[in-house]
Amino acid sequence: MSALKQVHFPKTPEEAARLLARGDGVRCLAGGASLVAMMNLDLVDPDELVSLAEVAELKGIASLPDGGLRIGAMTRHRELETEARLAGPFAVLREAAGKVANPPVRNMGTIGGVVALADPAADYPSALVAADAVIELASERGRRRVPAREFFVGLYATALAPAEIVSAILLPPAAAGVGLYDKLARVAGDHAIVSVALAVTRRPRGDLGVGLAIGGCGLTPVHRAEADVLLAAGALGDAAARRAGELLAAAADPLNDVRASADYRRLAIPRMVTRAVARAREELGRLG
Amino acid sequence: MSVESLIGRSLPRLEVREKLTGRAQYTADLYRPGMLHGALVGSPHAHARIVSYDVRAARAAPGVRCVLTGDDFGDHRMGAFIKDEHAIAKGKVRYVGEPVVAIAAETEEQARAAALLVEVRYEELPAILTPEDALAPGAALVHEDLASYFKVFEAVCGGNVCSRTELAEGDLAQGWRESDLVVESEYRTPAQAHVSLEPCGALAEVDPAGRVTLWSANQSVFRIQASVCESLGLPMSRLRCLTPRVGAGFGNKMEAHIQPIVVQLALATGRPVKLILSREEDFEIVRTRHPFQIRVKTGVRNDGTFVAREVEVVADGGAYADDSPGVLGYSLLMARGPYRIPHTRCRGTLVYTNKLRAGAFRGFGNPQVSFATETQIDEIAARLGIDPVEIRRKNALGTDDRWFCGQRLGSIGLAECIAVAERESGWADRAKLASAPGKRRGLGFACTAHISGLLGTGAIVRLLEDGSVVLNTGAVDIGQGSDTVLTQICADALKIPLDRVSIASPDTDGSPYNWGTTASRVTYTTGRAVFAAAREVERQIKTHAAELLECAESDLELRPGGVVGIKGVPGKELPFVAISARAHWRKGGPIIGTNSWVFDQPTFDPKRAVAIGLPFPQIGVYSFGALCVEVEVDEITGKVDARRAWTVADVGRAINRASVEGQLEGAFAQGLGFALVEEVVWDGPRLANPTLMDYKVPTTLEVPYELHAHIVESPDPDGPFGAKGVGEIGINVVAAAVANAVAAATGVRLRQLPMTPERVLRGVLASQPGG
Amino acid sequence: MSVRQTLVLRVNDAEREVRPALHDTLLTVLRDELQLTGAKRGCNHGVCGACTVLVDGRPVRACLTLAHTCRGAAITTIEGVTGIADRLRSAFEDANAVQCGFCTSAMVLVAAALVAERPGASIEEIRTGLSGNLCRCTGYRKIVDAVCAVAQGTGR
Repeated sequence: MSALKQVHFPKTPEEAARLLARGDGVRCLAGGASLVAMMNLDLVDPDELVSLAEVAELKGIASLPDGGLRIGAMTRHRELETEARLAGPFAVLREAAGKVANPPVRNMGTIGGVVALADPAADYPSALVAADAVIELASERGRRRVPAREFFVGLYATALAPAEIVSAILLPPAAAGVGLYDKLARVAGDHAIVSVALAVTRRPRGDLGVGLAIGGCGLTPVHRAEADVLLAAGALGDAAARRAGELLAAAADPLNDVRASADYRRLAIPRMVTRAVARAREELGRLG
Repeated sequence: MSVESLIGRSLPRLEVREKLTGRAQYTADLYRPGMLHGALVGSPHAHARIVSYDVRAARAAPGVRCVLTGDDFGDHRMGAFIKDEHAIAKGKVRYVGEPVVAIAAETEEQARAAALLVEVRYEELPAILTPEDALAPGAALVHEDLASYFKVFEAVCGGNVCSRTELAEGDLAQGWRESDLVVESEYRTPAQAHVSLEPCGALAEVDPAGRVTLWSANQSVFRIQASVCESLGLPMSRLRCLTPRVGAGFGNKMEAHIQPIVVQLALATGRPVKLILSREEDFEIVRTRHPFQIRVKTGVRNDGTFVAREVEVVADGGAYADDSPGVLGYSLLMARGPYRIPHTRCRGTLVYTNKLRAGAFRGFGNPQVSFATETQIDEIAARLGIDPVEIRRKNALGTDDRWFCGQRLGSIGLAECIAVAERESGWADRAKLASAPGKRRGLGFACTAHISGLLGTGAIVRLLEDGSVVLNTGAVDIGQGSDTVLTQICADALKIPLDRVSIASPDTDGSPYNWGTTASRVTYTTGRAVFAAAREVERQIKTHAAELLECAESDLELRPGGVVGIKGVPGKELPFVAISARAHWRKGGPIIGTNSWVFDQPTFDPKRAVAIGLPFPQIGVYSFGALCVEVEVDEITGKVDARRAWTVADVGRAINRASVEGQLEGAFAQGLGFALVEEVVWDGPRLANPTLMDYKVPTTLEVPYELHAHIVESPDPDGPFGAKGVGEIGINVVAAAVANAVAAATGVRLRQLPMTPERVLRGVLASQPGG
Repeated sequence: MSVRQTLVLRVNDAEREVRPALHDTLLTVLRDELQLTGAKRGCNHGVCGACTVLVDGRPVRACLTLAHTCRGAAITTIEGVTGIADRLRSAFEDANAVQCGFCTSAMVLVAAALVAERPGASIEEIRTGLSGNLCRCTGYRKIVDAVCAVAQGTGR
């Protein structure tokens, strides 16, 4: 028997956050793609739901004055998948959005929902870490910003405080570069066995900024600044790619599950990283 | 009036509009006044004695009308081959999830909530989780009373061995002596889930006289009637079984699932009760394809002639026998493949374990053994330097050959199947296949055969007053299209338009017996009965017409549009309405053509073969097939992508071409899942992946768009218009052909399914220098 | 007891008053309250796709949509969909793209949205667009062909 007694439809992020403070059994409902599935399986049984469907501020993607992007938390995967402004290194996010579950679910699910849930098998976390995105959080105390690289802290665990919601994803001004997301899954729409998220920026001076993260291989996206530095210093060469890949494979803490063994994931990481880096190198070369 | 034959045309399904407008009703779509909803409590243990139940809290819960435990069911057992299964666990539980308590409440939510309040005390027993556990000396027994169970065949069983079967022809020792090369390998195939899109469910209602009507998702109203009545100790006359639309079966709905429990709930409450399994329950408590361990040893001459084969199978049947003895026996009968191998011995052991039962699944054991045998043929061909297609062609059965154990072959289009697959796939040019960077492509080939037939079937064709016809067969159309095909056969036989025949929904009260929609049998067996019944109607029509037109019956012919007339005399004719009106009101009585028959050709010729524990003394006629698959293997991850496929089958005669193609295409997709991704995984005694999030089946993006179905027609002498079955043949060698393609692309020979990226990549790495 | 609240849904262009529990999904309401059983429950967690309906023209999973979050939205089910869907129905019939039919309602709705959004869609776009709807019977070939016939205007 469901415990659900009330569904709220706040109009602002702050109001939503205030409602969340009503108790432990109050859950935030974004697109529903994950939460309702968990409710159907009796994995969660909230007392109250705070639907973000009518919070206007959370919708849509805005270009910021500095050239960056503000992606509202309720932006659906489908919108991101087709968003032309996610270009250059941020194509990593666009490609990841196009790999989330399947088309009808991409019409429902939202980036804020995925980020807040922090399912380690999800596609966005590694892409956001690679892109060095910033997560904006809202509460009655106001807004704060947490880099994606610090936001995902564990299995379904994030930097979100109680009574705080994800309000937006912030991307810095787009620079020239390449972003890509390579997902290995059993079939289309499944969670990744391994995913490789790579964002490469060519800085004005000509040197490279690299963000590389692995999904599906641990409780949080696997990211090591040393790997990014290696790749940048090695100009995305194969040797650097292999070393970066091995570094991340060593850093990963994958599971044995029905998708694949942990050993296989460790084996696949450097191989997939090498391929992704080679693809980025080629695409970067084509940029001139 | 069109004279175009209805046979061989790609006519749309009769019920297609109903399905395209959302008006098709499946079991879950039925609602009855005053209907209660059922829920089940499953066992948390793989093997335990039930000590006691405490259902007081559940009985007192809101909306609950009935709580039944094993104590509320009599000691009656059901089973297609061995009567080893109660309607609900009684005394013992034998797998995790096995229903132990059933509840009926006003709403589904109340029933499921009450299920959480049931307390059952168990005394755990050692769980038998693998065939090795089962066969170990001193192992705990899954069925202590196996010896006393009723068996429908001469089962060789004991301990945890549910059945053993051995089939042999020739002299193995001689065969090995005559062989220049002997290849031996072991293979493993996993449990596969059927994943019919419609989960299993049932709705039962009791009338004031205590008679029960049962609607359920099933493949045979008659098997359900028999199983429910057997397991509840009811006379069959007290139960009427009906079938709404069925959202596919693939074997999962052939034997009973929860129908006995739902009937008992309805009897106990006097109210209609509906219970639709959740997807998780459908995974956990119905049935799977059998996991097989297979050892195959084949001896050949240097010129590629097959000489000898030995096959040993160990099949894990799970907690109940279900169709398992049949699956084991059939797999052994198929283990020689469609080839001449004079010295062959196939032996198999089916074991009980404390896991979900395995049962019928499209292919019925053939896909498992064919994965082994058809990949071994490629290994042999490679060792001998012979083209894989050539070695198959060289050894392929011909018209004068017999099937393994001696059955005669009525028609055989194997050579043409091979030729079509070879030609259409561009096999001869396969060396020119271009691979993208980082990818490797290859083609794989395999051949197969499958029966269509088995057991009893009937048909009733009634001529209505206006000359139109009602066809009634009792065969369940589970979505494969048999209603349309049978209607085509009936209408064509009587030369009337399709829309002048209506087909009755299966009903144990009114339909003639039909063993079921299984064994690729409906077109062949029921079609044959329909054709014969229609001929009987024709005969009666001609009897009337001969009197009315004053001629001999032999002078008469049926003419298109429901007319009977004198041959060569255009004007001398009568419409069916005139004949039928006369029969109804004046002379002879209503025209009803009936036919029933049972497949009676022996599987086994004692002069040629030895058979022990054979569950099917009479089995069916043979269809043949060939398949070529092109794969692309990703060098980085080992992931296999099927790019193109050419699936060819000799179906005798395609009654409905598009439906035949649909069977071949769908079977390919299901086989591709078996080949590459599907595996029911146990984590200890529990299923690790009983959801569609964790158990994946192929989507549009895994099944190649270039999936080409080709039909070969080598008419069966007894089939309706020459037709043979097609439901299963397309799945049999998908895994084998994919494995052969992977080997062609990478040099890696995989002997275990599914061929996951991990298995492929490890194979590739191990085969590389320094790997 | 579960808390129920009255809700007005716009389904197939008609206002329908229903009284679902707060946790009831759109699928439950369509099937059990409105007797629109064309949307099927195949898995109840968004994977099989058989429950897919259109909400404001977009295909979504009815099993993952709480009914009470649908206020104000236009819901279209197989029972009410017309236009491109009618052409798809003919194409599915012609291509023999229907077997058991359990996935069919959702396939038609997803395909209708796809063709509306992307007239002239390629085979690859169609395969991707349908990849969230499982069919266990057909092997998809005939379904893709049917949608292709409508998208590319080659059907009747």
